[in-house]
Amino acid sequence: MSEVKQERKSKNLSKRVILNILGNDKWQYLTIPIFLILLSFVVASIIILLLGKNPLLAFFNLLQGAGIMPKPSYGGYKSILTDFLTLLNFMTPMIFASLAVAIGLKGGLFNIGVSGQMLLGGYFATVLIGYSNLGSLVAKPLVLVIGLVGGASLGGLIGFLKYRFNINEVVSSIMFNYIIQYVLSFFIHTRYIDPVSRQSRYINPAARLTLVNVERFGLRMDLPIGFIIAIVLAIGLKFFLDRSRIGFEIKAVGANPKAAKYAGIKVGKTLITTMALSGSLAGLAGASYYLGYFASIQPRVLPSMGFDAIAVALLGNNNPYGIIASSFIISIIEKGSTYMSSIAGVRQEIASVITGLILLFSATNVYIQHKIRASKDRLQEDLGRELEE
Amino acid sequence: MSEYIVEMKNITKRFPGIVANDNISIQIKKGEIFALLGENGAGKSTLMSMLFGLYEPDEGEIWIRGEKVKIDSPNFATRLNIGMVHQHFKLVENYSIAENIILGLEPIKKYLGLFPYVDIKGASKDIGQLSRKYGLEVDPHKKIEDINVSLQQRVEILKMLYREAEILIFDEPTAVLTPQEIDFLLDIIEELRAGGKTIILITHKLEEIKRIAYRCAILRKGKLVDVLDVKTSSTREMASLMVGREISFKTEKKPAEFGDLVLEVRSLSVKNSDNFDLVRDVSLRVHEGEVFAIAGVSGNGQVEIADAIAGLTDIYQGQILLNGKDISSYSIRKRTLEGISYIPEDRQSYGLILDFSLAENLAMKDYHREPFSNGGLLDRDVINQYGNKLIDKYDIRSSQGIRTQVRQMSGGNQQKAIIGREIELQSSLMIFVQPTRGLDIGAIENIQRMIIEERDKGKAILLISLELDEIMNIADTIGVIYNGQIQKIASADSLTTKEVGEFMMGVTA
Repeated sequence: MSEVKQERKSKNLSKRVILNILGNDKWQYLTIPIFLILLSFVVASIIILLLGKNPLLAFFNLLQGAGIMPKPSYGGYKSILTDFLTLLNFMTPMIFASLAVAIGLKGGLFNIGVSGQMLLGGYFATVLIGYSNLGSLVAKPLVLVIGLVGGASLGGLIGFLKYRFNINEVVSSIMFNYIIQYVLSFFIHTRYIDPVSRQSRYINPAARLTLVNVERFGLRMDLPIGFIIAIVLAIGLKFFLDRSRIGFEIKAVGANPKAAKYAGIKVGKTLITTMALSGSLAGLAGASYYLGYFASIQPRVLPSMGFDAIAVALLGNNNPYGIIASSFIISIIEKGSTYMSSIAGVRQEIASVITGLILLFSATNVYIQHKIRASKDRLQEDLGRELEE
Repeated sequence: MSEYIVEMKNITKRFPGIVANDNISIQIKKGEIFALLGENGAGKSTLMSMLFGLYEPDEGEIWIRGEKVKIDSPNFATRLNIGMVHQHFKLVENYSIAENIILGLEPIKKYLGLFPYVDIKGASKDIGQLSRKYGLEVDPHKKIEDINVSLQQRVEILKMLYREAEILIFDEPTAVLTPQEIDFLLDIIEELRAGGKTIILITHKLEEIKRIAYRCAILRKGKLVDVLDVKTSSTREMASLMVGREISFKTEKKPAEFGDLVLEVRSLSVKNSDNFDLVRDVSLRVHEGEVFAIAGVSGNGQVEIADAIAGLTDIYQGQILLNGKDISSYSIRKRTLEGISYIPEDRQSYGLILDFSLAENLAMKDYHREPFSNGGLLDRDVINQYGNKLIDKYDIRSSQGIRTQVRQMSGGNQQKAIIGREIELQSSLMIFVQPTRGLDIGAIENIQRMIIEERDKGKAILLISLELDEIMNIADTIGVIYNGQIQKIASADSLTTKEVGEFMMGVTA
């Protein structure tokens, strides 16, 4: 009898530790995603082990490649700092794009057309400013403005189609993705193509949102200006959703359009506003992607980042701060993968597998919450019974 | 074996900030109709949810057929032959009736003894037999979204019977039904009992208990007050035990003093998207200090009149004048600002945003104006203070005050929140649609008193109700609607209940 009791106690102990960490309602919004990310790495480890490689080494290489951990040696003018800045450079459009998805979801709209809006904003900024001779101080702000307006107008149009003709935003977004991809490819191929790289010609550095090869401390680094804007915007968006009147209306329409209409909110107008805001963020993502991280556009390809952003937004729980964190994690995995594959001999695609696992597990967030609540109740009962005994 | 099929002993269940059930013991005999009576939030549904395995009690024991059991899931409850029809049905909208009934218990057959498939044909046949046996005819192939509420309820009942339930729990089954449907349902329940089933009926409608129940347990604020023999108890006695004080079935009111004309509706017509006339050429006038009630059987266009006045529905023809001003083309918000308060029929899908906090819902119609927001920014402090003020003033009960998610509040308190919010708008016209639907006697009395109070303050009241008693009780003027047309407008004193009932059925005098 006492043995059984002992066993139950020790089983309870490990359970209790997990529940104590995950069961605290106040911190659950943080602890559960972290738990799920760790879980994904455990599963990824198993896969890497099956491939006959050392998973810990592979993960360490990921961090090294992303500029979080130092590499054993660096090339000329390079260091951990330059790697880290490259990471931020890559992360910048990811934040914008994920914020675009998040605000749509808050307003009850699924903007699956972030990619198309990115491409449109990026294209106009490239063609109008990127190939001009404007000075840096004029060109950079204009790139942002034109990217924003380009994305916003397409987003707004999608919202308008939903409001006026009741066309589902998912359907119209996907169609616009194709239209934009092929129409813009036509113009790039016929007018702006670089015959060697088969991409659009490089833009004038003055218009670029990333300062490339800045020499400081004996290093050559890329300084992403857009990153600061992205962080400021994320904070601003949080404030906007929590405190502004329009933010309140967007959330109300997202939560219950009938009640929003009854309360006097113009639902159609709010839909269009939401999509235009989402589109403008996507446009900024496009500007910082095509005129920051790259300096040209690859024709006939939609940026996959626009789709990854859906998952990043969900991982960040549609919270702008959460999105900064989730963009950071996903960017590390994506950026560190090249280095990982060259050093550890693990194929680069494993990075995508890890990302996929994280997204898969993060989709179980609510389920885990439910499970924890249930087992917390059961544990308390057991404890009560033990006390009785 | 015990003579009781269900025994719940010393059950206690706590939720954050509230004791839902406090040391409750009830015993139910096999083959009886046992009623649970109590106000909203008295703990009836919680108690039955524990019997059905949705919650587990914090303290106490449940015995079924003389054996102690621990019901930790609805699946286990089903295995004990316990079934429950919830107040809000739990059906898959785009599945057929048959698919809904077999869900979770799909009969599996195998092609060539190898490839499993769900035998939907066989199931449909079984369901057909079952429904004929109990007089609950349904077409198993129809989809849930295509059938009305009363049929959906039949499906829920069939679902229990298909699972061979012996103990049937009905949670407020008549709340959503019309009088004829209620009659039918009560007959069915009586038949089920005659067939050997044990019935537990959660309700706050005394007439129903009087009509079919044998014994009745009365709950108040989580405690068991008494178990009565229905035959030997009066409804008045039951009502006062339930509320904890004497109930006057007749609302006290002074004679009406009409003031200026507030609302004038001139030959209003409303069509639906299929160009079908829902409201035909309706004209009516409501004055200050007048309760104008529209009586009618559900679905005769009365809700559309309210929606058209509030601006939620487009009007096809006609004019709406508020205080002499034509507001027919105004937006919803502009009408609210001009002086219209609207308590909608469906409080959960129109009146409230269930995922928002109580404070946000209470400010739902004011958030856009000063002092609730300044220069496009909400002032959370003002919104919260306002929320606290209304919670006090209208006695809105919730577990976490202004921060409570409205979804977690009881129906009665949700309605109090809406009515409080709308009264505070200080509008000259207040439209009430089914304001007491699904509420208990205490809450009904309270809300009817509030309506009279507003009238006495000089508001014009447009009341739309399916409860004839309610209309006879508080209306000054009655308009009877049938098939989208007003049949009769007369002062309430000059009409008897019987006359109103006849006009409602389209009998023209």
